[in-house]
Amino acid sequence: MNGHVIVVDLGYGDAGKGGIVAALCSHAALNSQNVSTVVRFNGGAQAAHHVLSPSGQPHAFAQFGSGTFTEGTRTFLSRYMLVNPLALVAEAEHLARLGVHDPLSLIAIDRDAALTTPYHQAANRARERARGAGRHGSCGMGIGETARYALEHPEDAPRAGDMTSPRTLDRKLTLLRDRLTAELAGTPSPPPGDIAAVYHAIAARVTLTGDGYLNRLLRDGPVVFEGAQGVLLDEWRGFHPYTTWSTTTFENAETLLAESAHPGAALRLGVTRTYQTRHGPGPFPTEDPSLSIAEPHNTDGPWQGPFRLGHLDAVTLGYAIEVAGGVDAIALTHLDTARRHPELKLCHAYDIPGQPAKQPAEGVDRIHPGPPRNLGYQKDLTATLTAARPRCRQVAPEDWPNVVTEITRAPVTISSRGPATADKELMTPAAAPR
Amino acid sequence: MGSGRWSADVYETAERLRGGASAFTYSDSGARTVHPDLDPYDIIRESRDSAEHPDSLAIAVLFDVTGSMGAVPRQLQTKLPKLLGLIKDGGYAEHPQIMFGAIGDATCDRAPLQIGQFESDNRMDTDLERILLEGGGGGQKTESYELAMYFMARHTATDCWERRHKRGYLFVVGDEMPYPGVKPREVSAWIGDELPHPLPLANLIAQLTRHWDTYYILPAGAAYAGDGQVLAAWRRLLGQNVLELTDLDAVCETIALTIGLGEEAIDLAAGLGDLTDVGSAAGPAVKRALAALGHGRPRRALPPGSVLL
Repeated sequence: MNGHVIVVDLGYGDAGKGGIVAALCSHAALNSQNVSTVVRFNGGAQAAHHVLSPSGQPHAFAQFGSGTFTEGTRTFLSRYMLVNPLALVAEAEHLARLGVHDPLSLIAIDRDAALTTPYHQAANRARERARGAGRHGSCGMGIGETARYALEHPEDAPRAGDMTSPRTLDRKLTLLRDRLTAELAGTPSPPPGDIAAVYHAIAARVTLTGDGYLNRLLRDGPVVFEGAQGVLLDEWRGFHPYTTWSTTTFENAETLLAESAHPGAALRLGVTRTYQTRHGPGPFPTEDPSLSIAEPHNTDGPWQGPFRLGHLDAVTLGYAIEVAGGVDAIALTHLDTARRHPELKLCHAYDIPGQPAKQPAEGVDRIHPGPPRNLGYQKDLTATLTAARPRCRQVAPEDWPNVVTEITRAPVTISSRGPATADKELMTPAAAPR
Repeated sequence: MGSGRWSADVYETAERLRGGASAFTYSDSGARTVHPDLDPYDIIRESRDSAEHPDSLAIAVLFDVTGSMGAVPRQLQTKLPKLLGLIKDGGYAEHPQIMFGAIGDATCDRAPLQIGQFESDNRMDTDLERILLEGGGGGQKTESYELAMYFMARHTATDCWERRHKRGYLFVVGDEMPYPGVKPREVSAWIGDELPHPLPLANLIAQLTRHWDTYYILPAGAAYAGDGQVLAAWRRLLGQNVLELTDLDAVCETIALTIGLGEEAIDLAAGLGDLTDVGSAAGPAVKRALAALGHGRPRRALPPGSVLL
């Protein structure tokens, strides 16, 4: 690696970012260009980036960076991350069992990062339950509640820096619990003092940092920014209301870089599968219930709803790249699946009932990005895409890299043919600066 | 995406933190970052009187842990635990409270400053063990001593000063020069203060020495041991309080006797006699190091009511 890399999922999540980040870190280490740190810049503990340990056991990276199995790779949870300290400990314990030495000591957290607490989680579940069949596909982890509360009560929201101060934490937690209890009758919860005490113990095991920390990381060597979720779930650019509470484009990572005195060149790497998946409800024009592809790690979740499969959608892929501001390179995953499933097709355009295309022969092949931060527009897109019928064509298994380059107008520099790091092929230079 | 498979139950977590301790303990081999107990961010270190120790005397020893120091920091880690005993047994101070800390390079290290607690018993040895020996730093003969001195000047509070207007003792052990000023960016990142302007080193030293009788020790075995440029730079800042140590084994004796001289508990000859009495071979090295300090030095204390910083 010659510079920093920002890894972002161009779909609805689950494209294989974890494996790509792990491969980047491992590859860099083999070339003595060690990635010092993986930086998380959106989402929270709901992420599940599956990576195989060196001995072949799977780990679902939620808050630890997916490069953790490469020795010497630390994790920085930036202020954009919603940190769940309790889940962090459970994840650390599993990593320790897989042979990572003292995992919590690898974690640095920006003091400004908002904390996801058991109260947020309880409120999240209560709200999703109340929505019933109309649920939005939440993970039940309280991510949305955390983001919402931090926006509404920025001064009162518990933050990572509070973990060292049980008194402040107790006050903020009590306030949070009382507000949420008032809003949602009967939020079950442990007492604030118990949570504060455990947070305090966790604070002693991790590093809490201030503003200058990332600055030094960026100077020390290449850093990988690991995105969570996918661009099509972006809070502003996704298909409202089936979105997440976080910015899933390159934006946060680029803001962090721009604030630094040592930004360096950063490669914008988009990740996509050779087909499309979506966890939970929401528009999915290319969904094909007849597809039967084994998915070892992504199962139906009680809060998220079913795991859905479909063909690669060139229209949403083009849209994702456009709203993300372009990509420099593509990591294409699940090429092995494409080989085993020649029935996988490419959707190149839609037919939309009641909305005839300008050139009917070609169908609708572009989603026009709306004005910034216009949820009304995004809601209309949801309606349009829900009605859209895909026009598909066959793709020969070996043609997928070319097809994807054609759609994305970016080179496929990483190809993945399986879950292990050894299954990832990195074209050099993997990280040629723009 | 995903379903959040890592339990976020508060009691399970508490159990994990208790039971799985072996997997999480801060260790020499794995740690690469400041131990939280030594993180200087947004804290004040206090040296206070207590019923047991009514006349506390604050003593801070900060040593350079960057690469140029070679094996010195590790040796200091093994030797400094005997400092408390030497001071007390020698009668150089009755109620010493000792704090240990470490200095790196804020321009490139991950742990440019590590600051322990003032302790009247051997608890500060735990801090000493937790100090991360980083081995970083640049090869430019400068380390972030100024950041450490800034912390001592503005983030410490001592009863010896506040109640008795008596300065504490600060020993900086290292082999390089400080940067010419305190940089607001570094202070903000590592200590958490917002400085409107860089603070020139001379101003900082003036503030520091108001509360702290400050000494610089250049030990043998470091890359710049005996370096004239380094010594001259420190002498411009601290005058005669610059000690050159030819034998690292004598570091505790040198510090203890310096305090004894400052406290007028002894003169140099008596102190060296003490060393001989206890069978220490450190005498000659200590004598050379302390030659400049000569005999008992007058105590310097500002009149009560003088403005603090």
